[in-house]
Amino acid sequence: MTKIVKTTANILFPFTMIFGLYVIAHGHLTPGGGFQGGAIVASGCALLLVAYGSPWVFDHIKDKRLATFESLGAIGFITIGLLGLIFGAVFFGNFLAGSGSLFGTTPATGSTLADFNTGGVLPLMNFAVGVKVIAGLFVIILVMAYASSIKEWS
Amino acid sequence: MEKRTVAGALAFSIVVVFFLFSIFLLHPFGKPGQVQMDDYIITHTQNETGTNNGVTSVVFDYRGFDTLGEATILFSAVAGVLLLFRRVRH
Amino acid sequence: MGIEFLIVNILLVILIVIASLVAVLLRDLLAAAIALAAMSLLLSLEFFLLQAPDVAIAQAGVGACLTTAIVIIAIKGTKRMEEE
Repeated sequence: MTKIVKTTANILFPFTMIFGLYVIAHGHLTPGGGFQGGAIVASGCALLLVAYGSPWVFDHIKDKRLATFESLGAIGFITIGLLGLIFGAVFFGNFLAGSGSLFGTTPATGSTLADFNTGGVLPLMNFAVGVKVIAGLFVIILVMAYASSIKEWS
Repeated sequence: MEKRTVAGALAFSIVVVFFLFSIFLLHPFGKPGQVQMDDYIITHTQNETGTNNGVTSVVFDYRGFDTLGEATILFSAVAGVLLLFRRVRH
Repeated sequence: MGIEFLIVNILLVILIVIASLVAVLLRDLLAAAIALAAMSLLLSLEFFLLQAPDVAIAQAGVGACLTTAIVIIAIKGTKRMEEE
């Protein structure tokens, strides 16, 4: 694309990334969560794809690596659920809430100030789903754009 | 008039009639019908899950199986796309 | 729920219907995709006004950006103008 589009994408790309990662990291305090933040980060990557073209992005990021990250996110999510079955009572049990360790503080009832160290397994699940959604949505867009950019299939 | 036009108009009018029925059967705006589960979650979510955000506690803790299904859908979508375009390599 | 809330909501719904009709009726598929993105963005604003910010963020990210990107990629792979 032209220089104007590339400059605009260069300016907007870090802010989009920071906002998406903020939505993922504060998923248990503010509106949003893993899926929403992952969709925002994948939108920023799609902006990069529009500005620089799919062969350039395909040279720098391999789709197999993105697919590996997608599988790692799914494995982490299911592992946290199974840990709930082992340490807690039920599948997807929240075994870290109120334990006092990592993310274990219980907030006071009612409208309180937001404390980042709360939520039990919810921030970990947000992180796993965020990695999964970023890699999944971006690999779909990337592979489709690259397949439409080449003229003739092998 | 063709047969396809008549069939399309008939199907469209049936769908419109069903939508109108469902509009008149809705409860009034801002007044939910059954509120027991809402009250339970709003009251107990800070003690049970330790989260200030009730929506995230419902999505990831109370209704974790829904999120598992959503993750399965995304995984199958990625697997389908990679399988369809697997000839695209350098 | 004041009268301003009602007026803004009705205006937004009418704009959503107009954007959907434009997306259906246009012959140029690229312009139709842009109209669909505008409809999705207005729908996201409507969700935000109805106090569902989670759904609004998801709609703005997936509906307005990623779906438009996929549709534009598909149009680039085929033809731009719709035939009779």
